[in-house]
Amino acid sequence: MSEQPTHDPQPQYAVSTSGLSKRYGDTLALDGLDLAVRRGEVYGYLGPNGAGKTTTIRLLLGLHRPSAGRAELLGIDAWRDPVAAHRHVAYVAGEPFLWPALTSAETFEFLARLRAPTRVPDGRESVGVDVAYRDVLVERFQLDTRKKIRALSKGNRQKVQLIAALATRAQVLLLDEPTSGLDPLMEVAFRDCVKEAKERGQTVFLSSHILSEVEALCDRVGILRRGRLVDEGTLQQLRHLAAQTVDVTFAGGAPELPALAGVSVENVGPNALRFEVTGSVGPLIEALAGHPVATLTSREPSLEEIFLHHYDSSDGRVEE
Amino acid sequence: MSRSSGALARRAFRDARVRTISFAYLFAIYAYIQPAGYSHAYPTLADRLSFVHTFAGNDALRLFYGYPYDAVTVGGYSAWRVGGTLAIAAAVFGVLAAVRALRTEEDAGRMELILAGAVARETAYLASLAAIAAGVLLLLLALFAGYVLGGLPVGGSAYLALATASVAPVFAGVGALASQLAPTRRVALELGTAAVGLFLLLRVIADTATGAAWLRWLTPLGWAEELRPFAGAQPLVLLAPLAATALLLAAAARIASGRDVGTGVLAERDTADPQLRLLSSPAAQALRGERGTLAVWLIGTGAFAFILGMVSASVSSAGVSKSIQREIAKLGSGSLLTPTGYLAFVFIFFILAVSLFVCAQIGAAREEESDERLETLLAQPLSRGGWLGGRLLLAACATAALSVTAGLLTWVGAVSQGVSISLLRMLEAGANCMPVALLFLGLGALAYAIVPRAASGIAYGLVTATFLWDLLGSVLDLPKWLLELTPFKHVGLVPTQPFRAQAAAIMVAIGVLAALAALAVFRRRDLIQQ
Repeated sequence: MSEQPTHDPQPQYAVSTSGLSKRYGDTLALDGLDLAVRRGEVYGYLGPNGAGKTTTIRLLLGLHRPSAGRAELLGIDAWRDPVAAHRHVAYVAGEPFLWPALTSAETFEFLARLRAPTRVPDGRESVGVDVAYRDVLVERFQLDTRKKIRALSKGNRQKVQLIAALATRAQVLLLDEPTSGLDPLMEVAFRDCVKEAKERGQTVFLSSHILSEVEALCDRVGILRRGRLVDEGTLQQLRHLAAQTVDVTFAGGAPELPALAGVSVENVGPNALRFEVTGSVGPLIEALAGHPVATLTSREPSLEEIFLHHYDSSDGRVEE
Repeated sequence: MSRSSGALARRAFRDARVRTISFAYLFAIYAYIQPAGYSHAYPTLADRLSFVHTFAGNDALRLFYGYPYDAVTVGGYSAWRVGGTLAIAAAVFGVLAAVRALRTEEDAGRMELILAGAVARETAYLASLAAIAAGVLLLLLALFAGYVLGGLPVGGSAYLALATASVAPVFAGVGALASQLAPTRRVALELGTAAVGLFLLLRVIADTATGAAWLRWLTPLGWAEELRPFAGAQPLVLLAPLAATALLLAAAARIASGRDVGTGVLAERDTADPQLRLLSSPAAQALRGERGTLAVWLIGTGAFAFILGMVSASVSSAGVSKSIQREIAKLGSGSLLTPTGYLAFVFIFFILAVSLFVCAQIGAAREEESDERLETLLAQPLSRGGWLGGRLLLAACATAALSVTAGLLTWVGAVSQGVSISLLRMLEAGANCMPVALLFLGLGALAYAIVPRAASGIAYGLVTATFLWDLLGSVLDLPKWLLELTPFKHVGLVPTQPFRAQAAAIMVAIGVLAALAALAVFRRRDLIQQ
């Protein structure tokens, strides 16, 4: 299979899908997914276990065949021409499946040679991989590269995968729950790496169910639920849709307020009220104007609250 | 037995059920067909006497079937032909069953899960043994049923079945011990298989070399012979397999109780300086992973080829009547009465061995996918066709290496004993293994592409079934077109017969077409997960 020169040399999107669906037997794992991740973006792909995150990534890599729709990496159809697509992509699987008899150093070499079988003349620098940066990563993640994979714990095997992917010069990093099995210190190291990747202009597609990670790293977030994208946008945009919390205490007893659209109220003390406000807080401020307000604090919803909002609202349960 | 150990034993038995049932079928069919075929081919005592005089005294045949104590009666003949061969199969079964129950679970990490619950190690060990014992019992029943249906008396059948099956628990003990010693499942299997090969070699020497009969007492396969079913039974010999099994299992249990879960007594180095050879492509890396296995195959094939070559020197047709020679020819073995004729006959077994090697390669490809390492590979800029094609090419090259080794070392063995035979002809005999193996490689690849989970079973099943079809069909006087369904029928028995180029070309062509179809299908399916 050869490179086809028909690909758009400057595609607008790093990752794009249109009407992407996948059915396994009776289960519809992915239902008409439309994604458009711009180049250089860090995109958080959120969803509980079984929502379809890994299925999406397998389709993006052309490992599974779409039942309908298309999946493209840098404008290249991943099913029709996986080799061309993969030249620009590095992938970290949710579980580290590597070769037990190879050491980490050998694994790095093997994966690097698969990316670029031809090496530049000095022999050390392989075309597809930044070997100097890889050494930095090995140091940062404190990996003993002389150890064989079979002797490594799951977390350490995950590091091997991560380092191999992060050290590539790939334009797109597809990361499927990359921090599973990492300890908190290593998670900090991972976050630094993602920030560095962004500075270098790499696109990061980060599938995760760790909300703090996504909140800290991602420019935009998509929330997947049972194979459908239920919400998407920057954190700011998502916050607009979810309720924000306003806590008010009063000098004296809490007053009776008229019912306001988009505002729910709860008594949290003899002279304290908590409001959950969807949309603008203007009407609430107006309603409070004539009352003896002692303190007023407002808090934007966390990503966790936004996330739970999507899973609690309609039928109340997160399904496996 | 407590409830938890009962549940564990049932689980272990169910895990191995496909293999157990396949073995049981094979045993039953083989046990049935030999006595039935013998009474059919040699109806009178006179026939049988002349058969014994020539055929059973043949050193060459003793190699495969063991020592014939009495081949004049149907029972004695069956004990010789079936007992000897199936004892080897029973040994393999014992090793496979023990390693599966005692080591595979552990390597997959499931044993930790079980031991983390309220199950003691002893309970888990005993439960595994119970599952293996149930499997052996099933084989015993299958043999018994086969013999009885084949026309042997009930009591004798039971004793013969016991003699053959007695090998299985001893080798289950060997497998159990190997499972404790080896650091991984794979090494445990290799140790166990090597033990089977070694004990078989002892039996072969004891049965063929003059003055070496005492060696028979050193191998469980020899004990099965010394039990002498239908030839002056010596039931006391049963004490030997009983004692050996008990000793081996006790030793394994002792090691198991003092060993860390997931490790072996023979430590494996877990750190190493990077070795950068054989990392340039997936096929190269696969060769790197398989080189130990390949070496074992090459050494095993070479050793057997050498010994068979040596033995061929003692084959002669002195005093064999024409009618008996015709009968022997009817057994599908060409002329067994000259060194070259004998070598031509044994190469059928090399063809079988190389074909089974091909099945193992299909199994390795399938395992790479089901262990999801293939997903890691194919996420790289690497085409699916390139990966599968590379694996098939590697298998084909390894097959060629095995075939040439078989030809070369038979020649060396034969020439060392003064047999005059051309090196070129023996290399040709070796190369003659390739067309059948390539046919099975292509068909196995196609099975892998279409139904990956069942691929191993289909490949092994196809090879075994077509081989038995060839072996049994000729005894049963089946119609010609039915017999010709098996590729083994279309192999020219080089060096006695000429190489059948047309048949070989057709087999290779079918193999290549199937492989191409496999590549096309594999390109279009989802990868499977565990």
